[in-house]
Formats: sequence, C-alpha cells, structure tokens
Amino acid sequence: MGFFLEVVLGGLMAGVLYSLVALGFVLIFKASGVFNFAQGAMVLFAALTLVRLMEILKQTFSPFLIALLLTIAVMIALAWVIERLVLRPLVNQPGISLFMATLGISYILDGFGQAVWGSDVYALDVGVPKRPIVLFESMVPGGVLVPSEDLAAALIAGLLMLGLGVFFQRTRIGRALRAVADDHQAAQSVGIPLNYIWVIVWSVAGLVALVAGIVWGSKLGVQFSLGLVALKALPVLILGGFESIVGAVVGGLIIGVGEKVSEVYLGPAVGGGIENWFAYVLALLFLLVRPEGLFGERHIDRV
Amino acid sequence: MNGAAPPAVADTFPRLLLEHARVHGTQTSAREKDLGIWQSWTWSEAAANVRALACGLAAMGFKRGDHLAVIGDNRPQLYWAIAAAQVLGGVAVPLYQDAIALEMAYILDDADVRFAVVEDQEQVDKLLEIRGQLSKLVHIVFEDPRGMRHYSQTFLRAYADVQQVGRDFDAAHPEFFLREVNQGSSSDIAIMLYTSGTTGKPKGVCHTHAALIAAARGGCDFDHLGPGDEVLSYLPMAWVGDNLFSYAQALVAGFTINCPESGDTVMTDMREIGPTYYFAPPRVFENLLTQVMIRMEDASRLKRALFHWFLGVARRCGAEILDRKPGVSPLDRLLYALGSVLVFGPLRNVLGMSRIRVAYTAGAAIGPDLFRFYRSIGVNLKQLYGSTETCAYVCLQPDRHIKLDTVGPPAPGVEVRIAEDGEVLVRSRALLKEYYRRPDSTAEVFDAQGYFRTGDAGLFDADGHLKIIDRAKDVGKLSSGAVFAPNYIENKLKFFPYVKEAVAFGHGRDMVCAFINIDLGAVGNWAERRNLAYSGYTDLAGKPQVYDLIARCVEKVNAELAADPMVAESQVRRFLILHKELDPDDDELTRTRKVRRGFIADKYGRLVDALYEGKSVQHIDTQVKFEDGRSGVIEADVSIRDAATYPPAAMRNSA
Amino acid sequence: MSPVPSQRSIGDVLLKLDGISLAFGGVKALDDVSFEVRSHEIRAIIGPNGAGKSSLLNVINGVYHPSQGAVTYKGTTYRQMRPHEAARRGIARTFQNIALFKGMTVLDNIMTGRTLKMHAGFLFQCLYFGKARSEELAHRRKVEHIIDFLQIEHIRKTPVGRLAYGLQKRVELARALAAEPELLLLDEPMAGMNLEEKEDMCRFILDVNDEFGTTIVLIEHDMGVVMDLSDRVVVLDYGRKIGDGSPDEVRRNQAVIDAYLGVRH
Repeated sequence: MGFFLEVVLGGLMAGVLYSLVALGFVLIFKASGVFNFAQGAMVLFAALTLVRLMEILKQTFSPFLIALLLTIAVMIALAWVIERLVLRPLVNQPGISLFMATLGISYILDGFGQAVWGSDVYALDVGVPKRPIVLFESMVPGGVLVPSEDLAAALIAGLLMLGLGVFFQRTRIGRALRAVADDHQAAQSVGIPLNYIWVIVWSVAGLVALVAGIVWGSKLGVQFSLGLVALKALPVLILGGFESIVGAVVGGLIIGVGEKVSEVYLGPAVGGGIENWFAYVLALLFLLVRPEGLFGERHIDRV
Repeated sequence: MNGAAPPAVADTFPRLLLEHARVHGTQTSAREKDLGIWQSWTWSEAAANVRALACGLAAMGFKRGDHLAVIGDNRPQLYWAIAAAQVLGGVAVPLYQDAIALEMAYILDDADVRFAVVEDQEQVDKLLEIRGQLSKLVHIVFEDPRGMRHYSQTFLRAYADVQQVGRDFDAAHPEFFLREVNQGSSSDIAIMLYTSGTTGKPKGVCHTHAALIAAARGGCDFDHLGPGDEVLSYLPMAWVGDNLFSYAQALVAGFTINCPESGDTVMTDMREIGPTYYFAPPRVFENLLTQVMIRMEDASRLKRALFHWFLGVARRCGAEILDRKPGVSPLDRLLYALGSVLVFGPLRNVLGMSRIRVAYTAGAAIGPDLFRFYRSIGVNLKQLYGSTETCAYVCLQPDRHIKLDTVGPPAPGVEVRIAEDGEVLVRSRALLKEYYRRPDSTAEVFDAQGYFRTGDAGLFDADGHLKIIDRAKDVGKLSSGAVFAPNYIENKLKFFPYVKEAVAFGHGRDMVCAFINIDLGAVGNWAERRNLAYSGYTDLAGKPQVYDLIARCVEKVNAELAADPMVAESQVRRFLILHKELDPDDDELTRTRKVRRGFIADKYGRLVDALYEGKSVQHIDTQVKFEDGRSGVIEADVSIRDAATYPPAAMRNSA
Repeated sequence: MSPVPSQRSIGDVLLKLDGISLAFGGVKALDDVSFEVRSHEIRAIIGPNGAGKSSLLNVINGVYHPSQGAVTYKGTTYRQMRPHEAARRGIARTFQNIALFKGMTVLDNIMTGRTLKMHAGFLFQCLYFGKARSEELAHRRKVEHIIDFLQIEHIRKTPVGRLAYGLQKRVELARALAAEPELLLLDEPMAGMNLEEKEDMCRFILDVNDEFGTTIVLIEHDMGVVMDLSDRVVVLDYGRKIGDGSPDEVRRNQAVIDAYLGVRH
C-alpha cells in the first residue's frame, strides 16, 4: 500500500512537470491559434540562460534572484523579438505557415542558446533541499517517501496555474487575451492591439517555460535533452484539449500517474520500457475516441 | 419630526409606515436591483421618500379623496406612490402595466383618476395616446427620466422633481404631513383594484385600510411572518395578491420587499435574494419545473439517473417528511437526507427557493404532480383560495395539513358557507366595501346576511377543507344531463407540460370537445430532440407527430375522468390544436391569463362547429394584434382528431 | 398626441471620404467614392449586394486601405489607419456577421468595448491592484448603464454563443457603445431579425443618436428602416456612388430607382 502510494505520488509529480510544459503550448494556442513548436526550445533556452547567469553572478549576494529577474527580462525581450520578426510579417497567413515559423524559431533558439551559453550539462541548484519527506506515517506502515524537491515543484506549478487562472479570468488583460483568442477581427475593432497581446502571450509562455526549465533542470540538469520534454507535452495536450488550462493540468497528471503505475506493475510482464511509450498510446486512443480532448471545446454551433 | 405627535394606533398604512420608521428605522424596507447592484432603502428612508412625494403631490393640488393611478413594474418608488396617495387621504389605483392604452383608458376614466404616477416613457406614451379621452387626468408623474428629455408638456413631471417640490413644501409647511396622516381613518378607502373582467367590464373593487390590514394581519399571524422575512415583489401591482403580500403585509409585519431588475431577470434575482416568503401562480411553478426538466434532459446520463432516482425517493416520502408525518421508514429518511445534499438542496438553490419558509400558489388549480413535486423537494408550497373582493384569500392551507385537492379550511376570522346551488359564500372583516360607483353590482354580490357570493362552486370535505370545482356559472350540463365542469377538464389537460392552454366545450352538447394550445418551449424541445424541424408555433402545432403527442395526453386525461362516475361522461372525444397561441392582447385570455371561454367559442365558432360536425380539417383566418398595436392575419388549416375514450369505472367493474 | 420630436442639431462635417478607390486584384470594389458625414446625423449606405457597402465601412475603420483617395476624420486626413487606431479615435463598429467573442459572457464582451478607456497599465494591473480595481468598477458602472439602456439585464452572465441572433446583434451594439464612440458604423444591424426585433433595434439606434449624440453610419437592406431612420442616404452600385441625399430625394432619383429601388429586393 505504501509502495503503491509512493508510485502514484511519483507519477503525480512527474505529471505536474508535463503539465507545466503543456501549459506553455495551451497559452499560445488559445491566444493565437498557433501550435508553438518552439515551446521546448524555450524551456531549454530559459533554463540555460538562468543557469549560466547564475554562474556569472556567483559573487553577488543572491545569484539566483538576480539571474531570475534577468532571465525574465530576456524572455520578455525574446517574445518582443519574435513578435517583431516573425509574427507581425506573417499576420493573416495560414496557420501552417506560422507553425513552420515556430519550427524555425525552435532551431534558431537551440542553436543560439548553445552558441552563447555552451552545450555542456549544467547542474541547476536553486536551493531546495533534496532530502525526501515522509508522509502519511500514521496511516501507512513506514509512511510514503516523497522527494522534497518534487513537492516544491508541485507547489510552484500549482501556484503558477492558479495565478494564470486569475490572470485570464479576472484581469482586463486576461479578458483581452480571451477576446483575441475568440475573434481577431472583433478584438481589433474594439481597439485591442494584436501585436501588444502577442507580446504578452509569448512573454507569459516564456515565463511558464522558465518555470518548467527551473523545475526540470534542477531535477535532470540543464542539457540539450531538456528541449525534448516538449514531446511529452504533446500527448498531454491531446488528452486535455489544446485550449484548456485545466485540461493541460489534468492531462499531465493522468499521463504522469499512468506511465509510472503501468511501468511498475505491468512493466515486468512486457519487459519494461512502458514509460517511454505509454503516453503516446494513450493519446492515440484518445484521438480515436474523443478527439477534442477531455476539456477541449466541442465545436457545436446552435442552429 | 415636526407637527403633532404621531397617532397612537397604527390602523392605516401611513401610520404603519411611520411606526416602522420609528421602531426599526434602520432596517431594510425595500430593495431593488438597478444597474446590476441591489440598492436598498431603510424604513426611515422609505418614510422620508413617501413624505416628500406626498407633499409634492399636495403642492401640485392633490386633494383628499383624489384618485392616483400607479402604472409600472414593481418598484419601490411606485409602492411609495401608493403610500403617498393614502397619506393624503386619496385612493391608489394600480393598473396592469402591460395593458394596452385603450384598456387603460377605460379604467382611468371609470376610476376618476386625476393623478398618475408611472414608471417610464413607455407608460407615458400610452397615457399621451389616450389623453384626449381623459378629461379628468391632469397630472402625470414619471419615475424614469430616460427618453423623456424632449417631452415638454407641462402636465408631465419627473418623480424626483415632484419630491423636491415636496421637500420645499414640507419645509414651508412642516405641520402639513402629520396633520394629513392624522386625518386618515381606518374606514377610508385605501385602494381600488380592478377585477380582471372574466365577466363583463372591469369593476373597481374598493378596499378600506381596515379590511386590508385585517387580511394582512390574519395572514401574517397564520404563517408567523415578521421583520427579517423577505418577499420577491414581481407580480403585477394591480393584482390583489401583490398588494397583499408586497404592500399590506410588508407594512403590517415590517418585512422587506425585493423588486427585480426587470421582468426577464426574475429567476436570477430570486436566486440572489433567496426570499423566505413567495407567491406564484401555478404557471410560474410549472415553467420553473419545465425549465429544470429541460436542463436535465441535456445533463450527463449519470446526473440524470441520480436526479430521477432521488426524485423517486422524494415522491415516496418527501411530502410526508415535510409534514412531519409518522410512518416514514428510517431507510427512506436516510436516503432523503442524502438526496437533500446531492439533489434537492442544489435544486432548491437553482430555483431560488433555498430559504423559503412559506410559498403560496393560487389563481388557478395546480397540478397534483406539480404541487407534490415542490413539497417533496422540501419547499413548503401551499394553496390559498380567494379573490380580489376578499383581499386575496378566504382559505389558507395550514402548515402540515396539506391536501392536494382542497384549498384548506377557512382562514381564521373568515366564515364560509355553501349555498344550496353549490356557490361558496364568504363573510369576514376583509371583504370589499363596494364596487366603485356600482351600487347595483355591490348589492348583487352580498346576500341578506352580508355574505359575499364568490361565484365559485365548491364543497367541504370530511375534514372541513374547501374543495373548489369550477366557476358556479361555468358548470353546465351535457345534453344527456351529466355534469360538465370545463375548468376541471382543462386543468387536467394543462397539467401536462406540453399543454399550455386548453378550452373545453360541452354545455348543451352530446359530447365534450377541446381546443389545445401547445407549450412552444416544451413541445419545441421535444421536437428538437426528434430532429423535427419547424418554423414557428403554427407550423409546430400542425405537425401530425405533435397531434400524436397531444392525443396521448388527452387519452390519459380521459382515463382519469373515466375513473370518476361524476365526470366520466365528460371525456374528451375530439380535439384540435389551435393554430395560434391564445393571447390577452387578442382578448382571448384575461390579464391574469384565464381563458375567456365564451369569447373564444364565438371567435373560433367555425372550429367549434367543425369539431361537432365530425370534420377532420377546417380552414380558418384569424385576426391578431402584435405587441405594437398593429394587426395582421394568421391563416391555417387546422386538423381535428378523435381521442380514445374509456368505459366509466362503474361499468368496468361490473363487466 | 405624440411626443414632441427631438430637436437634433446636425453639426459640421465629421468624416469626409475623398475619391476613395479600392481594388482587390483586378476587381474594383470601390471606384472614386466621395461623400461626407456630418456630426450627429444618421447616414445610411444602401445598394445592391456586392455594391461595395461593407468595403466602404472597412475603409472608414481602417480594415482596408484605399488604393486612391483619403479619409478625413475630425479634420485630420489619413491615407492609412489601422482598426485599433480608428477605435482610439472614436470610431466603433458592428459587423455584418456578428463578430462577438462567443465563448465570453455578455458582460465580458461589453467590457472589452471599454478597452481604450482603460488607463491603468499592465504593470498597474499587477502591482497596484487597488487603482486598477477601482477603475474596473467605474467601467463596470458605465457598462451597466449600457446594459440597462439596451435592456439586456437578463442575459448579463450568459455566454454570447448561447444567445439568439437578434440578441447577439444587440450585444454587439452594446459593445460598440461601451467605447463611447463619436462615430458608430453599423453593418446591417437588422439583418436576419424578425419584425419586433427590428423595431426594437430601430428604437435603440434612434435613442443612441439622440441620447449620446453619436453620429451613425449604417448599411441596411430594409428600405422602410432606412427611410425611417436616416437623415441622408448614399447609394452605391458596382462600387460607384449613384445617389446622395435625403431619403425623399434618393427615392426620386432615376438612377437609383433603376439600380436598386425599382428591383424588388
């Protein structure tokens, strides 16, 4: 029982991380209908920027905080540059052109990041203790072991999602974002400047990428493979729906738990490795049964 | 306050108002939702507003005995206008706000109205349209100035301006207001309410302060109403019920009235306020239930199953639990408690009925299923019986002694007698004083012992509860001599959600036939679920599938009628679905939406003939009036169906 | 006795179109169209389908940039103006095929109309919540007045996508009004409505013009509506202006009769 709980909790923690990456996709997809292939590259770029800046700023009183603020500035600048150089010239072009453009951004970011910051594996230590915490000791014999860094990650991710929810539903910028996502032309006619909104969306997506980068990076180390976590976000999106923030969260959790549990309990029977393909098979099933995802908007027009 | 000391006994409405302002002046007297926010007024503020308005009206020349028309949706300002008229020894005459100008002209003229306080431009325009015919109407006060900028007529005054004039007048004559209040007597006429006119022209029913206050106090004592109770004031102010619940009882008990933002927002506003005391005619309860059922059809399968299963539990034991009757099994109690958490509570909340202690319905018979539904989910819905002339009620159902098919025993202080011909006779302090300027009509409705003839046919059951069968004059006979109670049949038909109105014919005939109006919402939804396309009411009403649906309803009614030897012969043999909705604007319904059977029989004579001649289809052209007053013609070929009938129960038993 | 008619005072030229031409590929949508709109007037644009009416509105609010000619608005001449700039200068509009934010509530939709009236910037939104909040409340009050004005209280919290067509049109008008525009462009505000809805809409348009003094340019097919509502009418046919004047003048104009009125629409 204790072991099962540990597996489930481990899965939930992994799921939170998948959700974080998926969230970046959802934000941009909601606001501009573009599938941003560069989200993975942004995660890597953000983490790399942070870790290298921390190294440079080692002598200051708080290298993490200063580097964090600087990285945020960099991500906002990046959003601005992308809007200027890529999105604006491509306005009113078909979605596939924009998708191809994000593919390009992805490669440029990878290359640029590694050219500037180097391509080694860097350890990211943000000061969270790595000692595991024991939970539910009274209920389960021996309790359940949870790495405290995972707990911190889940906490951060939860706060981020809560913040985004408030941002989207309660603020007028959020309202403007929803308006743009709903109808570009109408949004412009009420005076919402699309360019400005795009910069904000890409900035927010950049910040989400940064958080994902910090969490993933401190777990796995900042390295090239970080960009590949984007691939895990894809099945999460198919599960949760491309337009739903809640969907990204729930989808991530389902996949996280699913792959850990099946790896542990079914793995031995099929020779292991389930963790690597579980998510994709689940996504495939969903595409067949419920293509709009769990929380996606079913497009039904009332006659 | 200036002037003489306030009067000792609060025996008129102005005195009650001042009493509340003195005793609990800071408590809320009225609320209204405006611009999305609930605005509220304390009893002191209400009294100050009434004072300013009364003084303003006096400054404009309002004399004791003058009549003041009040026209508009329920708004605190309009209730204050009633009070202001009563302060000045005048009589308030509330009118139905959706009446067309011509109907208003009749009442304004009949009631000798000199002043009118109206809600907005819409009502002002109506009065301007008929002003030529109204030599007596000299002042119109409008509450909402929107759209009124370009109206330069001098007899038009803004409510706020009148109040300002009143404040100045009050400052100059500080003793005036209380002197006027003191001059009032409880035997003065306080209000004139026009009967809906199911028969002949509307008549002004005059009620004294004493009668209304007696009725209000009786009701408040009966249901233990007091400060802290909340009522939703949304039914027409011209209707006696609203006058009792939102004005007389509010002033007697000191509870809070809540006025909705507009007629369309009542549901939402009710949810926000959560009234503790509520009144609605059966059709409102029916509409609410229909809406809930429609929403449930769209809900997920699990929710739907849960909903229906727990409703089953409620049907079994909900009403008994509400009545605290013994004999409910502990298992049922447990299941009901679970249902309260999962289904009934949320349902009551959606309906805005979470806090209701007392809810009444009246005005028409309520379907037993409908009635039981509300009681079973824990809403203390009761029936009352009464009329404009009896200050709204004669009988009230006491808590925990509810019978579905009776209206309860006579209320405290009310004597009820059944005449030999079955007519219900009533004597109490809360009867009308007279019909305005119609001594003959007044004499007609009172018998030698001072009993009021209600015009309803009824009987007492073994427990002394009154059971109303029909209008006394409507009860007719089939050519075979069997009793024909059209309302009884129509109500049974209307208990189906698909049937909005029904009109039964049969007096002096050899069989019963009926017109049906389908409910566009319920049948429309039914049709949508079957992918049955339709372009509007007329189209939908003519569909053979809809005829099949209605035929099933009619046949179920026939089966019920067959079970009762008294009415077994009244089974509906043939029916048709009318090609247009019956509408008060076309005089087919009264403003309280009762069918005017005689008028309809005349207007659609060809259809009635076709029913009895055995035709299967009949062409008809019908004049209709649109909301803006223009008219047009609807043409249709109306189909006629035969309905299956059943052998009477007695015969079946012997077979 | 009828209400005293309003004493509206038509003012100076607010908007002037000068030799506007617009081409899509080889097709000329507009060909040398000139006319002016005076402040406070209701100006109708009529013409057969494909006459270039919507294109003209799109030129005025900057969706299309004319290949020739210039638009003068409030004394300033523009060759190119972008839609959100037009909005900033006080031009609001509705669309022929309702362009509301379908997934958002009526209230949120109308609030977006206030976008340009909001001053607390993004940083204020995050850092200085109090000011942004009180501003939001002030805007909400304004929007509630519009909701009251157009009598849509009952659908305040309803997602727009669930509303009937006629109500959506009304919500779109509300959103345009929320910007407190000086110039309101209405693209077939009554298309697809039933008689009663049309009459309501007519009354609202007149009320808006009267109460707020808003100048209105509208495209409409229902000739009865056009004749009742508008002070002056521009008639387009195949991208050219073929008539301009009061409803009566236009009705008598032979070219107009041939092109449009004579033909049953």
